[in-house]
Amino acid sequence: MTKLTKSLKLSLVAAGLFSATASAASLAIVNATLHTSTEQGVLEGASVVIEDGKIVAINPASINVDTTIDAKGQIVTAGFIGTMNQLGLVEVGAVDGSRDGGDDKAGIDFDPSLAFNPRSSLIPYARKGGITQDVIVPSGGDSIFAGLASVVDLSGSFESVNKKQVALVVHLGEKSKGSRAMSMKTLIDKLEGEKSAKKDDKKEPSTEQKVLAAVLAGDMPLIASVQRASDIYELVKLKETYGLNLVIHGGDDAVVVADTLAKANVPVIISSMANLPGSFDSLHANLANAGKLEKAGVKVIIGVAGDSSHNVYQLRFDAGNAVSYGMSQQGALSAVTSNIADVFGLNSGTIAKGKRANLVMWSDDPFDFKAHVSKMWINGEEVSTEARQDKLRDRYTTDSTMPRAYTK
Amino acid sequence: MQKFAPSVLVMALGVALAGCQDNGPQDPKVSINKNPYPSTYKPLASQSTLITNATVLTGTGERLDDADVFFVDGKVQQVGKDLSVQADKTIDAQGKWVTPGIIDVHSHLGAYPTPSVASHQDGNEMTSPVTAEVWVEHSVWPQDPGFNRAREGGITSLQILPGSANLIGGRGVTLKNIPSHTMQGMKFPDAPYGLKMACGENPKRVYGRKGVLPSTRMGNMAGYRTAWIDATEYKREWDKYESDYAAGKNPAAPHRDIKLDTLAGVLEGDILIHNHCYKAEEMAMMIDLGKEFGYHSGTFHHGVEAYKIADLLAENGNCAALWPDWWGFKMEAYDMVQENVAIVDAVKNSCAVVHSDSDTTIQRLNQEAGKVMYRANDVGYDISEQHAIKWITSNAAKSLGIDDKTGSLEAGKQADVVIWNQNPFSVYAKAEQVFIDGAKVYDRNDDKYQAQSDFMLGQK
Repeated sequence: MTKLTKSLKLSLVAAGLFSATASAASLAIVNATLHTSTEQGVLEGASVVIEDGKIVAINPASINVDTTIDAKGQIVTAGFIGTMNQLGLVEVGAVDGSRDGGDDKAGIDFDPSLAFNPRSSLIPYARKGGITQDVIVPSGGDSIFAGLASVVDLSGSFESVNKKQVALVVHLGEKSKGSRAMSMKTLIDKLEGEKSAKKDDKKEPSTEQKVLAAVLAGDMPLIASVQRASDIYELVKLKETYGLNLVIHGGDDAVVVADTLAKANVPVIISSMANLPGSFDSLHANLANAGKLEKAGVKVIIGVAGDSSHNVYQLRFDAGNAVSYGMSQQGALSAVTSNIADVFGLNSGTIAKGKRANLVMWSDDPFDFKAHVSKMWINGEEVSTEARQDKLRDRYTTDSTMPRAYTK
Repeated sequence: MQKFAPSVLVMALGVALAGCQDNGPQDPKVSINKNPYPSTYKPLASQSTLITNATVLTGTGERLDDADVFFVDGKVQQVGKDLSVQADKTIDAQGKWVTPGIIDVHSHLGAYPTPSVASHQDGNEMTSPVTAEVWVEHSVWPQDPGFNRAREGGITSLQILPGSANLIGGRGVTLKNIPSHTMQGMKFPDAPYGLKMACGENPKRVYGRKGVLPSTRMGNMAGYRTAWIDATEYKREWDKYESDYAAGKNPAAPHRDIKLDTLAGVLEGDILIHNHCYKAEEMAMMIDLGKEFGYHSGTFHHGVEAYKIADLLAENGNCAALWPDWWGFKMEAYDMVQENVAIVDAVKNSCAVVHSDSDTTIQRLNQEAGKVMYRANDVGYDISEQHAIKWITSNAAKSLGIDDKTGSLEAGKQADVVIWNQNPFSVYAKAEQVFIDGAKVYDRNDDKYQAQSDFMLGQK
């Protein structure tokens, strides 16, 4: 690539007219401890080369790049990927107007990524946790179908929605009113309806029809938010009947049917911190569950429980706790990187040739409190971890003879 | 003139009645039982125990390497190197760390227990903005499985508070985190009561919806002031009764009001304020409110903006019980900084506390404190483990008024002790053994010391 096209691209980026995925500059990180999230495991004293937003080489014989960064032995991982939250869809939980993750009328065809705000103050804060991408999901409305998940990056760019409509989210299990059997019936009726529908070639199918067709074809994962073992068991049967690409989210009691899930190849998105019987659906929540599912052969994704939009930065600590209670280090790393990429079909989540250059350099063990992000890159571009919180801290810890309002 | 007539009559009657009561033999004195639901807690049987070769964080700001901790009859007797003492039980803690039992000043366990079904929602009496008459101990379900999970995280004492829907939500209670099938069996002997107050969004939202005061922040302030005026008058009546009786008169006792009993208890200094309050300007006003009515404004809980008034908190002797990183769930929690605790702590005479307000993070207050320590050190603070542990031990004990009893490993203190498998501020740290008043109440490697609530027993 010539210098001319490079600067042309940069000016387009500056003008906000070009996708942030385009990064012309080439970069090498050398002398790193690469935790690859691949079969290669950990590579000591390794180098990784980035060009045009992608990883182009690992440990090449020679390096010829614009910029070289000496990691001085620090750990470099693939960027962590948050899941199942409303990052960019909420600013303040209790401020109605800042909340776009759900709608009473939401259903199978509801896609909240249309409302994604890359300028949300939550995004730079989340980067402090080494989060480079996130699976945003609708929070739900009156229907059991919350709507469609999308994948965003945390670059802050207006082009940060990487992949739209990556999964359909359905809420099952315990209800405040009525029977969970009715929810299952609603789901089955929808699947049956689409399966037996007469295809009219002349008529463009509706979004709902397209989504259901993709779900039935196994192309689009169906994420079922559900906790109780018997519900999970029923869903596995449904997977077999309809050939679904089923993903369990929640799964406090998934450990009870771990072998069934492993055999049926059903991934589980779990909070590794859940260990209280929040309801009669969750009597087996336990800190050891992530590790037990891993050992049973289930593909585990760790997600932050509760308000995961504001707290997704804690993902690395949840992974650390999972390790503390029996998960392997490798397994926990995959649970916040490559397993998510696998389930949602992302070209990221590992340090491997051809992958999106979402990388994080850590001052220490990324799962422990003592570590912080030294540097991070999204789509090959270095991004800052400075957030609004840092400005506030500095304002109130900097001496001034003037009122604080003048410290900016 | 006619208007005056009735009141003149009442006054005359009042004088006549009072005159009557002031003379003659005294009726039996009316006195209020301040402890009608007394603690029945008895420490479990214990042995004299010597923990050796540990890294000891005393809770007083000291760290002792390769040190021993010796406790007898439920009390810490000695802490130091190479103690030459006879113990029934010696635990080699080589490579392990020992701290005081962890104290959470803000919990709703038992009042908002798990399973969190509708019939368990006993933490907020949302029927009136001032419910000083309710005592959260009357809501505590001791079978909440959360107590056991918290003990596994090293929690030996905790304060249960009512929720924050009300301006004045009711009394809190401090518990020893000991398994018991009665609330009284957990009640921390001789711990002062707390009174829950709440600033900001919650009370004005809850009551604004009902169309009653408060629907604004100024309404909040008016609501507290009205309550304290009532309490002041009530206390004056009782003080007068006491002094008249002491003078040999035979006064009629004032009509008893359990709401005002509690508020008067604050004015007397017996009950400590625990104030849910996020914002700097609100905390500053709550400090003045205390001064207006002659009580101490106590501990501010949550205090997301405490860092903006760190000096004011220290000057006025307020503890601030804070989270490391909760934010953004409502407007008043928007200005969080990760160094909040450290900034509050850095001022002379400060009292920074890390609290949970959560049935999950109560299990990991060591990790919550660790987050603060490392993030603050990242930006130039120099906080050591021996200092940070104070946020969840001795400072917490101070906030609850039990620092003469627990919260540090000093001779004479209750032997509430945790042995950790490693540095407690690591994500990989786990409490291995927990002692309350010298008795082992949890052992990670011995099922015999792992309590299970009635609710979980036999569940498949």
